[in-house]
Amino acid sequence: MVDPVTVSVIHGALETIAVEMGFKLMRMAHSSIIRESEDFGAAIIDRHGRGLAESAQSTPLQSGPIPGYIRGIKRQMEKRGETLRPGDVIMHNDPYGGASHGPDVAFVVPVFIGEQLVGFTATTAHHLDIGALTPGSCGIVDAIDAYAEGLQFKAIKVYDRGVRVEPVWQILHDNIRAPELVVGDMEAQVAAARIGAERLLDLIGRYGMATFDAACEAALAHTEKLMRQAIASLPDGSWTAHTFIDGFEDSDDPARRDLRIQATVTIAGDSLTVDLTGTAPQVSDRPINMPFEGTVDIAVWLTIRSILLDTAVFGHIPVNEGLTRPITITAPKGCLANPIFPAPTIARFSPGNQLADTVMKALAQVVPERVSAGIGNLRVMAFSGETADGPWVHMEIFEGSYGGRQGSDGMDAVDTLFANTRNNPVEDVESHLPLRVRRYELREGAVGAGRWRGGLGSVREFELLADGGVSIEGDGHTYRPWGFDGGSDGHTANMQLISGNISTNMPSKMPYRRLRAGDRFQCAGPAGGGYGPPRQRDPESVRADVLDGLLTSDAARTAFGVALTATLAVDVAGTALLRE
Amino acid sequence: MRMIGIDVGGTFTDLVFADTGSGQVTIHKVSTTPADPSQGMMTGMEQLCARAGVKLSDIDTVLHATTIATNAVLEHNGCEAGMITTEGFRDVLHIGRHQRPQHYSIRQEIPWQSQPLVKRRHRLTVKERLTADRSTVLEPLDEAGVRNAARVLKAAGVEAIAICFLFSYLNPSHEKRAAAIVREEYPACFVTTSSDIAPQFREFERFTTAAMNAFIGPKVRKYIARLAEELAARGLTADLRIMRSNGGIATAALIGALPVLTLLSGPAAGVLGGAWSGALSGRKNLITFDIGGTSADIGIVLNGGFIESAARDTQIGGYPVLVPMLDIHTIGAGGGSIAHLDTAGAFRVGPRSAGAVPGPAAYGRGGTLPTVTDANLVLGRLDAAHFLGGGMRLDEAASAKVIGELATQLHLNAQAAAEGVLTVINANMANAIRSRTVEKGLDPRDFCLVAFGGAGPLHGAEVAAILGIPEVLVPSHPGICSAMGLMTTDLKYDTVRTVFARSDRLDPATLAADFQAMAGDLEAQVRQDGIDPAAATFRRAADLRYFGQGYELRVDVPDGDLDAAKLTEMVGDFHARHATEYGHGFPDKPVEVVNVRLTGTAPSETLRAVPAPTGGSLAAALARRAPCVFRTAAGLREFDTPRYERDLLPIGEPIPGPAIVLQTDSTTVVPPGATLTALADGNLIIRLGA
Repeated sequence: MVDPVTVSVIHGALETIAVEMGFKLMRMAHSSIIRESEDFGAAIIDRHGRGLAESAQSTPLQSGPIPGYIRGIKRQMEKRGETLRPGDVIMHNDPYGGASHGPDVAFVVPVFIGEQLVGFTATTAHHLDIGALTPGSCGIVDAIDAYAEGLQFKAIKVYDRGVRVEPVWQILHDNIRAPELVVGDMEAQVAAARIGAERLLDLIGRYGMATFDAACEAALAHTEKLMRQAIASLPDGSWTAHTFIDGFEDSDDPARRDLRIQATVTIAGDSLTVDLTGTAPQVSDRPINMPFEGTVDIAVWLTIRSILLDTAVFGHIPVNEGLTRPITITAPKGCLANPIFPAPTIARFSPGNQLADTVMKALAQVVPERVSAGIGNLRVMAFSGETADGPWVHMEIFEGSYGGRQGSDGMDAVDTLFANTRNNPVEDVESHLPLRVRRYELREGAVGAGRWRGGLGSVREFELLADGGVSIEGDGHTYRPWGFDGGSDGHTANMQLISGNISTNMPSKMPYRRLRAGDRFQCAGPAGGGYGPPRQRDPESVRADVLDGLLTSDAARTAFGVALTATLAVDVAGTALLRE
Repeated sequence: MRMIGIDVGGTFTDLVFADTGSGQVTIHKVSTTPADPSQGMMTGMEQLCARAGVKLSDIDTVLHATTIATNAVLEHNGCEAGMITTEGFRDVLHIGRHQRPQHYSIRQEIPWQSQPLVKRRHRLTVKERLTADRSTVLEPLDEAGVRNAARVLKAAGVEAIAICFLFSYLNPSHEKRAAAIVREEYPACFVTTSSDIAPQFREFERFTTAAMNAFIGPKVRKYIARLAEELAARGLTADLRIMRSNGGIATAALIGALPVLTLLSGPAAGVLGGAWSGALSGRKNLITFDIGGTSADIGIVLNGGFIESAARDTQIGGYPVLVPMLDIHTIGAGGGSIAHLDTAGAFRVGPRSAGAVPGPAAYGRGGTLPTVTDANLVLGRLDAAHFLGGGMRLDEAASAKVIGELATQLHLNAQAAAEGVLTVINANMANAIRSRTVEKGLDPRDFCLVAFGGAGPLHGAEVAAILGIPEVLVPSHPGICSAMGLMTTDLKYDTVRTVFARSDRLDPATLAADFQAMAGDLEAQVRQDGIDPAAATFRRAADLRYFGQGYELRVDVPDGDLDAAKLTEMVGDFHARHATEYGHGFPDKPVEVVNVRLTGTAPSETLRAVPAPTGGSLAAALARRAPCVFRTAAGLREFDTPRYERDLLPIGEPIPGPAIVLQTDSTTVVPPGATLTALADGNLIIRLGA
């Protein structure tokens, strides 16, 4: 038995360690996908594989899966009859063994006191390149199986009892494009995880193993209780929702496009089950399948947690395994959300976020005041080429937007749900790469109308200043983000390739394609769905959007029933008439 | 030289008078008048001068730490501002880095979207485009477009305009020209350019800094003008100097143009006050620890020098600001922090605070929640009859009641619950200090903790013990340490340029030319303030990173003519700094010089020492003895603890803990096993047990 004061102190110390690991990784990292986009994770795991704390800076899709990586490593090593020893560092990226997808490589330090394993510290990061068929680690949308996606690491020791396993590092160097950057970042991951291990040992040393263990149990029980309380306050019942992803819009094969994602949320007392039955079968030879452990579970947990224990309402809540205990997830084997090896998974990003959105849509029926209307999904682009300094790869994540919420409009032009990365400053991109950003603004005239309107999309335009290549993985070109409670649907994203005078409408997924200097991509981001009847929107808010150039007076009239005068004041009588 | 330092805080305005000739120092405290802080200041100054026996008109310099700019940002009540920016980039301020502040929240608001510094309707674009190549103008400035935009914004009633173009940090000519056109069209307008205020890359951060300057500019300018008038009306012709976030002072004129430089005015003065106090006792490696009612500010002084935050770490109210700031870490932990159990029973202290109103239950102003102050009172660490020098009687029964209620929830007795509150808050503070020291390769055991602010000396010794810090220093007037700090610094000027060059391809001559041009800029500023540039000293620094990284570390650029050897030395320093800071280096990787910086310092007359205490005896100092609870190896124990009047302590005589030291503006706790010594320089030193 441990007193609540000690629990609080030990828990605070664990969070501090996780933050330090993340902070150091982010600052040491060389690739913009880690240091600018913050597509990395850091966490402390107990010896049973249960998450104790995660770094606050990282993106949820990176720290969240770390306990799954550890469980995958343990299973893999058990199968091979290997054991963990003091001084080992393990590399792992197996999407069928807990990893989120291949490019998200974990480096795990098992922490020992003497010969006794007391826990793990781990970092994950999305690497620029992992040796797939074409440059970059996104937009590998034509990978036909897990082997085509790049190197697979299944619990590989990169340090064995403190000794660097040189052949493994050599393989990394020889099989990854831009090895200086990528391998440097991997070394930074090891350094950050080792710092965490040192600190964890200090902490356990200060309190003793028994007290530490008891405090961790109490901390897990605490968050479990928080989640159970939140679930128990909801009515029992079952709610189903579905949405669709584009899949491969330009494919002749109907099994590759317009794919259904379905979620049934069942609440029974203080437990909650999410059943993904009804989701489309896996696409066995295209990589939009979602690893069940590492992507699907994170998408579900994150969505439930963001709705039921919203940080803006509940304040900071520790992120540990206790939060997930009351939640059970099931998905039929062989569906998009539970694929069978070696179905490829590298491009699971957009489907996973759509799955998160679908879970929110199901919960919207239970807690309408806590959700947003449908979100706009994301797209990722990999640019690549050669300069005098060697090959370069640059990945850019294109933001989506949130749907309207009860009481406020949707967030504009941001990453949504399970992603929360950062863009790259235009001035940084153009200073280091043969790219030019010609435009980066809000998208005007595409609004998900509602009493609280959906968030606005963005417009971004990139130009290649030298010959190079581009690949794209994204979604949201076909299906509009859902409106809610009388709100209108939002707007789809679209993408134009402008080459000379010719403008071509591009699908949401495009495998690597060579481009010439001067070619441009213009990407219009999706606009989130509206919440509540548009004709109930405060006319002054409609007017504000007109003044801000986001809506035309005509749209104010037709979509919202608001009449404006010539000087753009609200015409009260005219509005009343329109809204009758 | 006769000086007055004034630190206007949320609750109190602290004032210090110092005569550097006679050595006289007089202190005073009045209530802050939030609606118009200058009223409290004027009242305070008149009373202070009466106490000190001087006339207001005899004062040579008034030094001021202000929260006017900070509050305008936090309360979002600046002016209606406008912006003129590059075509195609109207919404840089709105999209930001496309990241949400919170990972796990649907209902959060993004400050720069829900409370924009400049509304979209007032963000106008013009044709112009520069590139990353300093000399290329891709698209010339559309001057007619600027003129038209200025007219539109003027007609719309904006009071201030920020001019923000891409790549202006490399080539400010378009911004400068646009500013000139705006001033022609709208002379009364407060005009700011992004290159003038923060000539560094990262457009969202730079534009936000400029927009914030425009947003708060008119308000701060009016405030300063009003202060100057009020001072003049009282026959004061003194120079008005204002504390900057970087630990230097600036003339009122400079702050009138660049108010965004004062966002950490008060906390920076605190670090200076702590450093100055430490230096009096010969301590040069310091952790300054300033605890007030709602928050604790932590600063690091290394070998007598101050540390500035990296450009990516400076923010206020969630908005990034690219201006030099001392590296001050603030956490929500103070005397008013509320102890509570969350809905699932976890024990938390802070960040919610009872503030000044209703304040802790002990204040008897209607506070009904248990706070850190209540815990201190229940444990006997605070003296009910001797709070604020007896100016306020603490309500012991009220504290006992709220701590008792907490104890019931925790299933602990009242003493254990009260001690638990302190354990948790002290651990939070220790974690924060750890993040500034251990995590940056600094060993806290090499430091002295300077504890000040009303509550710093209450917690200093126990926090130091957690971290293995061997000694705690308590300044002579812990409650007004920041106001003292104002008098300890020089006029400081700084400038920065983004370079982006690989160190192995860097031409020393180009870099030297950059520094030359920057020196020219600074000298002009110094001259504008009526100071001979020859009296100023200049220091060069550079922000470096490994090629490909996104975060820079600052290193000094060696003095003397720049040559290849000097650059190699600089890069060597970076490798070492990286290994210290992150515990890992990449010695084989190329290094990129991102920014170069020049800081000018023009000496001002500063405070030298406080009048030496005369010293008394232990017997004379003993006010009374009372029970006080401390944690020992064997658990909680009540000690019969002496309470001493600080003014009467003997000088240089070691006094064993436990002991409580009383003074007007703070209370110092000396735990069992620690030893207290009052020094001749006015400081107290607490040595912690071996």
